[in-house]
This record gives sequence, structure tokens and C-alpha cells, in this order.
Amino acid sequence: MTDKIDGQIVGRGAAEGARLFREWFKNLTGAAERGEHTAYVFVMGSIAEILRVFDFNLVFPEINSLQTAVRRVAHEYLNVAEDYGYSPDICGYVKADVGVQLRGGEHPMGKIPKPTLALLTNACNTYLKWGEIWERLYNTRVLTVDVPGSRNARGQTWAGDPDFEHDRQYVEYQLRELITACEQITGKKFDVDRLREAMRHTNAMSVAWRRVLELNKSKPAPFNALNEGTIYLGVANALRGSPEGAKYFQDLVQEMEYKSAHHIGTLSEEKYRLTFVGVPCYPIFRRFYELFSEWGGAFVASTYLEFAAGGLNLGYEYALNRPLESLAEGILITVRHAMDAMFFQNDWLVEGIDQYHVDGIVYHPIKSCRTVSTGLADNRRAVMAARDVATLFIESDMMDKRVVSEAQMKNRIDAFFEGLATRKLHAA
Amino acid sequence: MAQEFWRWKEYTWRAPDISWTDGKIITGGVDVGSVSTQAVVMVDGEIYAYANMRTGSDSPDSARKAMNWALQDSDLTLDKIHYIVGTGYGRVNVPFAHKTITEIACHARGANYLYGPSVRTVLDMGGQDCKAISCDERGKVTAFVMNDKCAAGTGRGMEVFADLMQVPIEQLGELSLQVDKEPEPVSSTCVVFAKSEAVGLLRKGWRKNAVLAAYCNAMAHRVCTLLERISIQKDFAITGGIAKNVGVVTRLEKELGVQAIKPTFDTQIAGAVGAALLGKAIAEQEKK
Repeated sequence: MTDKIDGQIVGRGAAEGARLFREWFKNLTGAAERGEHTAYVFVMGSIAEILRVFDFNLVFPEINSLQTAVRRVAHEYLNVAEDYGYSPDICGYVKADVGVQLRGGEHPMGKIPKPTLALLTNACNTYLKWGEIWERLYNTRVLTVDVPGSRNARGQTWAGDPDFEHDRQYVEYQLRELITACEQITGKKFDVDRLREAMRHTNAMSVAWRRVLELNKSKPAPFNALNEGTIYLGVANALRGSPEGAKYFQDLVQEMEYKSAHHIGTLSEEKYRLTFVGVPCYPIFRRFYELFSEWGGAFVASTYLEFAAGGLNLGYEYALNRPLESLAEGILITVRHAMDAMFFQNDWLVEGIDQYHVDGIVYHPIKSCRTVSTGLADNRRAVMAARDVATLFIESDMMDKRVVSEAQMKNRIDAFFEGLATRKLHAA
Repeated sequence: MAQEFWRWKEYTWRAPDISWTDGKIITGGVDVGSVSTQAVVMVDGEIYAYANMRTGSDSPDSARKAMNWALQDSDLTLDKIHYIVGTGYGRVNVPFAHKTITEIACHARGANYLYGPSVRTVLDMGGQDCKAISCDERGKVTAFVMNDKCAAGTGRGMEVFADLMQVPIEQLGELSLQVDKEPEPVSSTCVVFAKSEAVGLLRKGWRKNAVLAAYCNAMAHRVCTLLERISIQKDFAITGGIAKNVGVVTRLEKELGVQAIKPTFDTQIAGAVGAALLGKAIAEQEKK
């Protein structure tokens, strides 16, 4: 009986996530052909709830770009951009997107529609320059929502604090400007009830995502934060504020609770529990995972699932009786958190050692993105000063296989596990 | 034929007073690095023979040649060796190895054997990378950090400079110390940049020794920052080919404020020695 249930539940999130993604890209292909309104948005603050009110198709250029790497064709797109004049040193996500645009939207998953609106936040400094590219290519209207960040590592303000209220009002004012722009672009009138509906779905996803992350504290961990986690993360972003997204995450909680209760992990033997810091190595995504799993290493937590989840990891729930006010509050808290998760993650990492029963922390700075990589060496030192935990520092890239050296990474990874084995021996 | 200044001497050695036929466990370690390959044979944990040669384009062939050379003039044959461990970048290309272990673990174990159990920090300055390793009293790795992908600060970089300066690589360190005043270091982020900078200094009229000093200074500083990342603890030992370069080691000790233990053996064989010792432990475990 259990076997039958296992077959129905275990692995459902990954399979269904892949199916939803194929469907999502198919819809985008249709939108491109029909010339529908499309908004280009980013994972760190998509503000999808407002865009859904106006029936914008959502395109995440970051997801498009990483998909080219996972499908091992990123180099083609990078070359197109570099031949056009972009430097090899700049963000690989940007260049792959430029390649997609210069190829008329051609993408291994389908056809990407052109943007009628680009909506950015200041969570990543590159977003702003990226938006300017579409502005030049298509005369796209680019709107940037400026979200105040943390003034210092542990000095965030919260509801009730006058500083917080000033920041929240600042974001709310910009959201009202966004609504006006959306009305002008689409010719549709803003409908607050549709906004509430989208926010309700996001609430359900947010609560579920937080629960999913917590369930990975189980031993063995029900999902691998590196590969399966990335699939869940993709759905969290692409289907944010949609009924399909809410349903997916409710099912995912069910799967993870089942796996947790039945001690079903991702490896035949989970020998080492690891935390991942940074962005995965997409050009050799499967192999990168295997370099750890072959040693019995399972990623139980990842900063990527924090800073790239659009704040869903916080479990923040919007107050539907004051939608715009609450949406502004949620964006302020979650985008601020996304930035903090990149720059002040050492506290979270140290706390996670006990919460997730972590044996080692793997830092993976990447050449393409200095925003998430700068400071990781210092972060590692801070974590090691706070706790006697094994750490590994490996460098590669999330897009460009020219700077991925598997042999060098393997050498370091193998030595890391040899060290972990010694630690376990000493502890015993 | 023009002199190849970068080419270091290959050699082999055998213990005159050890008879392998008296040994209970014979083990081998083969360290196939990016620049050099070492094969070590140990009899009951004592070094019986070793060979050190350049790694060719064919790693399995380099491993075979090094082991054959180590066993040359001995009636000990490969099939009599109970356990062999492959290590180094080419460790998976040692066709006759029973197991592979990273050179990080092997250098720590090798340094523990060659320098003694008081060693807590090992700096392996190899052909293509540098590793700062923390280890316990048994030579087990507790933490490590490595340089990034660039060859600056490694043996390969030193070979490039020997060639550029037309100085035999074995003399490079000694000559670098023969300067009146220590020059500022050249660039250490990239060996190609460093080479360009050195060419510029020569054009300005710098003496050869001064340019060598600037490069050794840069290498020492680069390695020093690596060591600082793991918090150096005494005793401190250096393994690998660059440990033979007195110009780098002297400057490194000065910058660190820590003296490295003086080697009484060939520092290049530490990885292969560690591999053979780890092989011995495994063979003994399997016998039980």
C-alpha cells in the first residue's frame, strides 16, 4: 500500500514542476505569436500580483537564461551577445538574454515574446542596466521600483516604527505609479478585487514554501535544495499569484510531509548534510550535483532558495483588507530580505547549522555575478569564526562553461568530503 | 639545442638498507600532478624507492613510467605491491591503483610522516596550484583552502620565469636573494601579466636578480594571503616543488613571521608518500 502511495506522491513536485514549466513556455510562445502584452520581471521582486490584474504575460529573463545553460546551449547565446559587442566579463544572464533578443526570441523552450513593460527593482544593480537594453532595442517602458534596503546588518525596522512606515509609503507611492502605467499600456482599468485574488494565491504559496523549507530539517532531507529546490523555486517565481501556483505548493507540502513522515530522502544514504551558498553551476548542473551526491552529500538548505524566491521563504501573508498598503509592506520586507540574504547571510548560515543538522557549508561564488559573490570569502571566515564547521569554497559560473573547470572543482570537493569523513571519525 | 632553463632534473632513489623481501606490507603511492609525477614504494611504512619525473601528455603513461623507474634495478615488481593509491590531478589515470585519494589528504599525511606529528599547517606549493592545509596529529585534514585557477604562485609560473630570465630553475631562488634592496612585488594575479611586467622592468634597466626578487616576493605574498585564510598554526611545513625555492620560502617566512620546518628530504614526494601510507592503512584494515 505504501509503495502505491509512494509512487503517487514521491517525486510529484519535480515532475509536475517540469510539466508546468513546459506549459508556461508554451503559453509564452503563443503570446509571442499573438503579440500579447508581456512584462519582463525579475525573481527578486516581480510584483506579479499587480501585473496579473492586467493580464500581462510574465517573462523572467533570468529563468530564460539559466534554461539555456541547463540545456547546454548557453554558449551559443553568449557568443551572439559577445559578437554584438558585449564584454565576456559582464553578467552571463544579461548576455544570454541579449542573445535571445538578437535571435528574435528564439529559445530552446519556445519563443519569448518582446516586452511591452519591463519592471525592475533595485535588488540587483544589473537589473537597471538590463532594462536599458530593452529600452534601446524596443523602446520598452521601463519602471524601477526602488525598495529601501537594510541600513545595517541587524538594524531592520518593522511595522509600527516610523522609519518603516516612511519606507512603506515610499514603495506604495511607486506601486500606484505602476498601476497607472499598466492602465496606460494595456488600456484596462485596475480591479482591486483581482489584486486581492492574486495576493491570496501568493499568500498560499508563501505559507507553503516556508513549510517546505522547514520540512527539509528532517533526517533524511525530503528534497535536495540544489536541484529539486531549483525546480520548486522556478515554479514559485513563474506562477506567483496564480491558482496553479497555489495548488502546486499545497501539493508540494503534502509530498514533503509524506516523505518526512516516512523518512524518504533523496539518496540511498544521506551521509553528509550540506548548505549551499550562491547560485548553482548550471552549465554542468547534473554533474555538479553528482560531485556531491556520489559522496553521500545532500544539500538540505540553500541561500539561493532564500534570495531568489521573491520573499516567499519568509511566509509573509498579505492583509487582503488593505491590499495596496499590505502589498507595499510585503515588497518592502521581502525585497529587503532578498538583498540581506545576499549580503548578510552569515547569521542565517550559523543558525542553520543546528536547525538543519548541517555538516558542511559549500560556498560557490560565480564569475558572472559579483553581486552574489562579493564578500563570500569574508562570509566564510565569519561563519568559521563563529562555529567549527567544515566549509568548501569553489568558484565557477552559472552560465559560462568557459570558466567552469570540473577537474579543479572535483579536486576540492573530494578533499572536502575526505575532511568531513575525518571530522565524523573524530566526533565518533 | 638551446638550454631549457625551466627544465628541472628528473631523478630516482632507492634505500640501500631495506630489503623488500623482509617486508610484511608493501605499498605504493603515485602522485600524477600537472607538472610532475612521483612514484613512491614503501616497505612496512619506510621509503624503499621513489622516482620523480615530468608529467607527459599521457597521464597513465606518466604513472607507469614513474613506477617502473622507481622499481628499476630492483627485483620488486608491480604485482608484489599489496596496495597502490593514486593521487594528484591525474589520480584517476593511474591504471594500476587500487584507490584514489586527493593530494590534499595525501600531502597532509605525507607531511605528518616526513616532518613529524607536530605539524598542524601544511603549505603544498605544487605545479599548478597551492594548498594551505590544516591537519591533526595523525595527518588528517581538518580544513584547507586553495588558490584560484591562475598559475601565478605555482611551479608552472616559476618555470615561465626561469625561461624568461634565462636562469636555471634550481638557481632562481638563490639569485633572487642577491639584491641590495628588496623590490616591490610584480603583479601576482596572473602569471602572464607578471611576465609582461617583468619584461617592462628589464627594459627599464633592472638587473635580472632584482626582477627575480620581485617575482619571488609576489609569489610569497600571494601564498601568504592563502595561509591567512586558514589561520596558520605551528608547526608549519612546506611541501611540493616550490618548497625548494629559497627565494620564495625566505620571503614567505618573513612575511608570516613563522619559520617553516627545514626539510631533510625531497619535498616533492610528500604527496606520493602520503598516498603510500594511506594505502598501507587501507591494506592493513582489509587484512583484518
